[in-house]
Amino acid sequence: MNTLTRGFEEVAHTADLEIKAWGENLNDLFISAVEGMFHLSGIDEYEEGISDVNETIALEAMDYEGLLILFLEELLYRLTEDYMLFKVRKLKVSDNFSLKANLRGIQIKSYQRDIKAVTYHRLNIQETDQGYFVNIVFDI
Amino acid sequence: MVSSSDLKQIAPCEWEIPDSYRSDMRVPVRLFASPELLNEVTRDKSLEQAVNAACLVGLVGPVLVMPDMHQGYGFPIGGVAATRYPQGVVSPGGIGYDINCGVRLLASQIPYQEARSRLDDLATALNSFCPSGVGTGGHLKLSEAQVKEICRKGSSWAKSAGYAAEQDLRRTEDRGQLPGADPRHLSPRALKRGSGQVGSLGSGNHFLEIDLVEKIFDDQAARAMGLEKDSLALQIHCGSRGLGHQVCSDYVKSMQSAVIRYGLVLPDRELVCAPMDSPEGEAYLSAMACAANYAFANRQVLSFHAREAFESVLAGKVANWDLNLVYDVAHNIGKIETHRISGEKVQVCVHRKGATRAFGPGASELPPEYQSIGQPVLVPGSMGTSSWVLRGTEQAMQRSLGSCCHGAGRVMSRSQAKKRIWGEDLRRDLEGRGITIKAGSLAGLAEEAPEAYKDVDQVVETVIQAGIAAPVARLKPLVVING
Repeated sequence: MNTLTRGFEEVAHTADLEIKAWGENLNDLFISAVEGMFHLSGIDEYEEGISDVNETIALEAMDYEGLLILFLEELLYRLTEDYMLFKVRKLKVSDNFSLKANLRGIQIKSYQRDIKAVTYHRLNIQETDQGYFVNIVFDI
Repeated sequence: MVSSSDLKQIAPCEWEIPDSYRSDMRVPVRLFASPELLNEVTRDKSLEQAVNAACLVGLVGPVLVMPDMHQGYGFPIGGVAATRYPQGVVSPGGIGYDINCGVRLLASQIPYQEARSRLDDLATALNSFCPSGVGTGGHLKLSEAQVKEICRKGSSWAKSAGYAAEQDLRRTEDRGQLPGADPRHLSPRALKRGSGQVGSLGSGNHFLEIDLVEKIFDDQAARAMGLEKDSLALQIHCGSRGLGHQVCSDYVKSMQSAVIRYGLVLPDRELVCAPMDSPEGEAYLSAMACAANYAFANRQVLSFHAREAFESVLAGKVANWDLNLVYDVAHNIGKIETHRISGEKVQVCVHRKGATRAFGPGASELPPEYQSIGQPVLVPGSMGTSSWVLRGTEQAMQRSLGSCCHGAGRVMSRSQAKKRIWGEDLRRDLEGRGITIKAGSLAGLAEEAPEAYKDVDQVVETVIQAGIAAPVARLKPLVVING
């Protein structure tokens, strides 16, 4: 990866699901991870704008990894309980391990896969010359 | 990465990774595997995960791994580890997010020949009486007070609500009610997620399966279990649903700081843990018991619905359409048990992550009818392949903490399976072999294809050869409902 874009890809895992996410900075890395998780849930496609909502959430943790899990868990909970898909409009990760995110919530009718949890397994955000990388394992 | 040269053979189907393999190991790792299965386990990270588990504080005896082992998160699937109670640690990630995911088997006296023409109707009825699939809850909508009651009482709640008989409780691990369950240790989210999911199967690898009792290997044990050759049986595989997932997530999160407080150094954050006599450890054990009881109640309510489905199709058509519980086993759980380890009788918390309890004859935890034969051990195969009924042995008590394998074990990732196998082709293939399939989605079906799993017969052969279980019966699938 030479360009400092953001994105994610699925990594083979025997029983569960794993993604590798990357971004130029922590903000982009977190957005990539959210997109990766919703992709694994099987909701890449959705009907536009039936009952969109605007939400802002603020979270804090002990470290960046913990913050990432907290953020993903929050959105996963809203997906399973409220059938809400979230797109990040704006996100700021601060160096005191807190974040503030402005989100667009989209009501969906169904999703394809239940994700039981976001795990901490071998979780390690890596900073390189090319940007930030993280692998995340989801229990399904 | 652990390779086969790091393994020392100590018996024909038993291997050891000595605690000298890595400096942070506190105990060795012992795995049960035939030489053929050993090749498969060195391909993924399951052995490295077992080595990581061997670093927990308070372990007594080696970390054990069953022959259906495969890569998980934190612990490997198929992992069994005992920590001294109460000074040792309990690790929520070592038990898993689907707390008390488990399987139960119900036997019948319904002759296959008489039911053969009605299997499609049975499949349709089961599918309609037993809710399954992504995001699908149960028929019951419960208040928070009712969810708490279920968490405290498990199968006993099901009995008082009319979903269970005394025999159902007697033939469930711990009578379907783990002690010490206090819902005050559950988060509001966990309780909320529990309100609509009792009596629902869920998705993924959870299933309902009607089987044919194809072969009996042990007449005495099969008789005690009510298994008759050429009759129908039913398996139910599911767990504690969203409530259990939330409990594990909540405590893996809160223990991230507990490990720092207690000075516990770990090779993987998913293994976070706390001493069982600490406030965090006590709270988790209590919350885990709540989720385990919820799962017991869940499988019990599903059994009730399955009985209704059988009655709706078979009443008046066959002489006896009852479904009698053979046993209900947990395979993701932490249990406080007493074992003799290295000559010492010791109370421990046995973490079983994708492993089944397999107590031998005479264990006080077993009901009278199983005292002489040992605990029924249920080993479901992958979709379309045989399942096995085994029984626990004295050897299991000595060598595997009274534990055994829980299934076939995956070898192929879900994305690989989906790339190689078309759900529609698989359905056609299985139907061509006389198996009726009802699946939530064709993609989901492909992920659970038999090719994605080890050969369950090889796994079972290994535990029999190792002496930690003995064969009772083999079941052949007739109807599979995959969530």
